[in-house]
Amino acid sequence: MPTPIVWLHGDSLSPYDAALVAHPAAPAVFVFDEPLLKQARLSFKRLMFIYESAIEALEGRTHELRRGVVVDEVLDFCRAHGGDEVHVSASVSPRFATYLGLLRGNVRVVVHSPPPLVGWSDAAPRRFSHFWRKVEAEALRPTGDGPPELREE
Amino acid sequence: MKLETNHATRAERAAYLAGALEGLYSGEAVPAATIGGRRAAIARLRQFDVTRYGTTRNHVTKRGISFLSPYIRHGVLALAEIRDYILTRFGAGRDTTKYINELAWRQFWQLVYAEYGNRIHQDIEPPKVPRNGTRRSLPDDILQATTGLVCMDESLRELYREGYMHNHARMWFAAYLQHWRGEDWRDGAELFYTHLLDGDPASNSLSWQWVGSTFSHKPYYFNRQNVEKFSDGEYCKRCPLASGGCPFDATYEQLARDLFGMSQEELEQGGQRRGQQSRR
Repeated sequence: MPTPIVWLHGDSLSPYDAALVAHPAAPAVFVFDEPLLKQARLSFKRLMFIYESAIEALEGRTHELRRGVVVDEVLDFCRAHGGDEVHVSASVSPRFATYLGLLRGNVRVVVHSPPPLVGWSDAAPRRFSHFWRKVEAEALRPTGDGPPELREE
Repeated sequence: MKLETNHATRAERAAYLAGALEGLYSGEAVPAATIGGRRAAIARLRQFDVTRYGTTRNHVTKRGISFLSPYIRHGVLALAEIRDYILTRFGAGRDTTKYINELAWRQFWQLVYAEYGNRIHQDIEPPKVPRNGTRRSLPDDILQATTGLVCMDESLRELYREGYMHNHARMWFAAYLQHWRGEDWRDGAELFYTHLLDGDPASNSLSWQWVGSTFSHKPYYFNRQNVEKFSDGEYCKRCPLASGGCPFDATYEQLARDLFGMSQEELEQGGQRRGQQSRR
């Protein structure tokens, strides 16, 4: 049986992240991307928001938040926890694709798909009005009851 | 380097993070009032009343909006979760539809980003109006929020202090910076990305291009009447330029000629022709 760890990134900072949910007992790591942030120099407010969101998403399980080179830190975390499989939620960011490629040179990676608002398999739409006309009916159909925290209310 | 996460208060947490991430951020190490995390996101969702969203969402000072964008951008709440909750709680209707329509913009930008990748940070299409902006550092009055225009300066101050700007105010500012000040949209997009808690590469760069006409069939612009209507005159009441010198105080027809050198009608038609010519 493989031993999974979860890599949580900034596009999916929820305790209901698809990779976290798929492996509720797996250790998980979030990494502040040092080379990227050195260049982007976002405001502190943004980093604080991300930090608070990551902490809460990882509560209740073995986890670490780190600062460094993302791929190196994820691999190091994986080794430290005896892992041999990295689980992560998909992102459309080109940087995510690059990191995925680097990780895959070292370890098996499983990418989980977060639930979309609507399905879409065509080429990217050029105008929102065109997109909305095609997806409106599906967008207005519920697929569940909403966040589990609010279901009792 | 491993970061600590066990602080008793938010102030302690912020002080720790300021040191732990030293060299990775710009400006003062002061957090926004908006707290990150799922619990805060759920609290905002619970507070949100979609009733009258359609008529109040564009009102910059009344703000009948959900304030969920930072949580959506970072995946703290999924679009589908929000849609399902709003439909369950408020049922179908005009306001619910409008709100879900706005949620769909998020997926739209992401689909474009998935296909275009980093090309979203360059012009997607030729501009439909003459443009002379060149890349440079933004002027001090923008960075200091001292343009003298209350409708701009108040929004900029909120951006710098809280990492937030109302969507309609973003459109006004993006149009002002590009069309009135002649700045390159990428400099404005960088400013927003630095500060907005919901700063997302796709939503941000593509929205700036939508305003500028490199990802739309014509540029977005506005006038004083629009500012007055969607702020109940709050800004103009306090603006020293309201009695003379307001650059937005004109008809759309006049502004089309002043800003773009063409009539409104030409903007509609000429813009499209220009785009077709360029594509050939």
